[in-house]
Amino acid sequence: MHRVVVTGLGPVSGIGIGVDEFTDGLRRGRSAAAPITSFDASGFPHRYAGEVPAFRPAEVLRRVRVEQWGRSALLAAAAARLAATDAGLPLPLADPGRAGAVIGTTSGESTVVEQLVADLVAGGYPSMSVDSLRQAPAERLAYAVSAELGLAGESVTLTTACSASNYAIGYAYDLLHTGEADVMVAGGADSVCRWAHAGFFRLGALTERQCRPFDRDRSGILTGEGGAALVLETLDHAVARGARIYAEVLGHGLNCDAHHMVAPNEDSIAACMRLALDNAGIKPVDVDYVSTHGTGTPANDLCEARAIRAVFGDRVPPVSSIKSMLGHTMGAASGFGAIATTLAIRHGFLPPTINWANPDPELPWIDPVPNVARPATVRVAQNNGFAFGGNNAITIFGAIR
Amino acid sequence: MSGVVTGCGVVSAAGDSVADVLTAIRAGAAVRADVRDRFAEPLPEVEAPAIADFDVRGLLGRKGTSFLDRATALAMVACGRALADGELTPDDDNRHRIGVVLGTTTGSLKSTMDFSRETLVQEKPYLVNPVLFPNTVMNCAAGQAAIRHGLRGVNATVAGGPLAFLYALRYALNAIRRGYADALLVGGVEEYTPNTAWAARLTDAGPAGEASAVYLLRRRGAEATGARAEVLSVATGFAPDDADAGLAGCARRALATAGVRAADVWALAGDDGDGLRDAVPATAERLPVRPALGDCQAAAGALAFGALLARYAEEPASAGRPALVTGRSRDGGVAAAVVRGWAGGGDDHR
Repeated sequence: MHRVVVTGLGPVSGIGIGVDEFTDGLRRGRSAAAPITSFDASGFPHRYAGEVPAFRPAEVLRRVRVEQWGRSALLAAAAARLAATDAGLPLPLADPGRAGAVIGTTSGESTVVEQLVADLVAGGYPSMSVDSLRQAPAERLAYAVSAELGLAGESVTLTTACSASNYAIGYAYDLLHTGEADVMVAGGADSVCRWAHAGFFRLGALTERQCRPFDRDRSGILTGEGGAALVLETLDHAVARGARIYAEVLGHGLNCDAHHMVAPNEDSIAACMRLALDNAGIKPVDVDYVSTHGTGTPANDLCEARAIRAVFGDRVPPVSSIKSMLGHTMGAASGFGAIATTLAIRHGFLPPTINWANPDPELPWIDPVPNVARPATVRVAQNNGFAFGGNNAITIFGAIR
Repeated sequence: MSGVVTGCGVVSAAGDSVADVLTAIRAGAAVRADVRDRFAEPLPEVEAPAIADFDVRGLLGRKGTSFLDRATALAMVACGRALADGELTPDDDNRHRIGVVLGTTTGSLKSTMDFSRETLVQEKPYLVNPVLFPNTVMNCAAGQAAIRHGLRGVNATVAGGPLAFLYALRYALNAIRRGYADALLVGGVEEYTPNTAWAARLTDAGPAGEASAVYLLRRRGAEATGARAEVLSVATGFAPDDADAGLAGCARRALATAGVRAADVWALAGDDGDGLRDAVPATAERLPVRPALGDCQAAAGALAFGALLARYAEEPASAGRPALVTGRSRDGGVAAAVVRGWAGGGDDHR
């Protein structure tokens, strides 16, 4: 069995594009929250989201042609290109069949589908754009990554909603760990869209301007978007090419609530944490930091905090939610969590939970790293991801030893 | 370690068993149902290879079924049938080791587009029905199937259109090999709606079809009832510049992993076998899905796999001989699975 390491990071986010900007954004507690520009939000009571207005795909992409792909595929491909550059990956690879892409998403090409809906409303089904129809399949997110980097191995899109990036990292880890691949690009992408904004608003889950996870007065999520990619390699492959190694992927865990489509389940989430820790071969006491799912809804944060308490007992490590900065980037969310976790290990700091004002008396064991990044030695970190459909996925990262 | 198929659940325009699927494929003519009165909206055709009678409430009961979309309901029914057929009853001792891996294209395109349309046509853009919001996520069918049948193990949805089932099969095989699950329901689902019908028409994909086909894949040695087939290996790749060569490469890798000689392949299930002319014997039997059942997208591979199981069941001489299931997408995705089946299980698995 092979050890698996992280050698490249590619964030395309509202708090920074590329690893340097993103790291700076995490350290400074930058916020991506701003008035929505990607669709006309004037009819909504809440009009803020975590968009990536600075994203110019043509400036990042070298091989895929922008006009042939939807926004989510472009976010994925750009994230992958940045990650490959950060990793110093020699492209084209000597053996592209041993390299692949696994990308997670919630809504796939949501903006393409919304364009189809606009066509439909304007002129009926026959007026739907053929180009848009061809861009709509969600599998194209991974294909865009493979096409951009010239990868010929497995190219798969996992559509397990808001834990999808952790599914992708876990699956890529398995393919590397078992020797089926040498290099995998894993992560996720999603775009801000009108229907998700409306859906979360009507569920009562949308906050107005600020996402404040674990705060007593937290009031919900901000929808967000972005592309998050990590270059994962077997340790042997990374060492052989002299790559800089950020961290090691220690393992992951998956399970399903089988309980409710939208309400999280505390016991099941705790069980998922135990699966991930077991798979990584570590104990709760080894974990120095938890990057939480931390959506900022009253229900999620209470449930997640209780599950953490159930697993970690009296030694709950500091936790934080980068959704306070990025918004809820849906299928990309746990990919950004993985990048933040990796950076925490590499650079020795805990990303903050911004917008935090008051402790929640129901969660006294939670230290949310309020508002300001904190220096810390992070040897092992846990990255949580939960989703509609009860799809829980957790990844574990460690300092290379 | 490979996975063993011990049960199947099928809902298709050809009927509700893998034998029905095989019969339709062998007949070669398009299966047709009258779809004229099915939707309030216009369709591009009066007949389509759609499921004629699918009574959600009759099959799943009234409770909790009011807001299910068709794809989700089809998947839930097929999952239930596969569990029953494989004689696996989830209980508190095993449910955390049983899961679901389903292939999709975009989830329910109709659910998502209808929900999105409400934001444009309602007086206020937020006047959407929140109960329908979960139907817009692509893992809805897998999540609902898990809730319905109480399955707390690995639960994944894999997008891949024509390759979705093979991707799901590979994902599931990995989960079983890695010890994450003892049994997984693996399949593909696609619904026939005005959205898919028009999408297929406008993109020249042929008539849209629909189906849900799900198989119970168990860890070898864990199977309780008769094994119908063994999935030896699945290989996938991305070859946008030369899909024929890419598919042949996949087939060769899958065969090598399985320890099977190409010359021993006796059947080829799927719509893209032509690219394998030089890789497997010309005499290998072809089982294409599309001419009979239309463009079933994420369900196509699952139907091809089912036809293969039925073929093994009716041909005792084929027992233990390897076959390939292949798939290819217009964007360059390629995949091949090596399967070995037996006559054992019988062929009526309603």
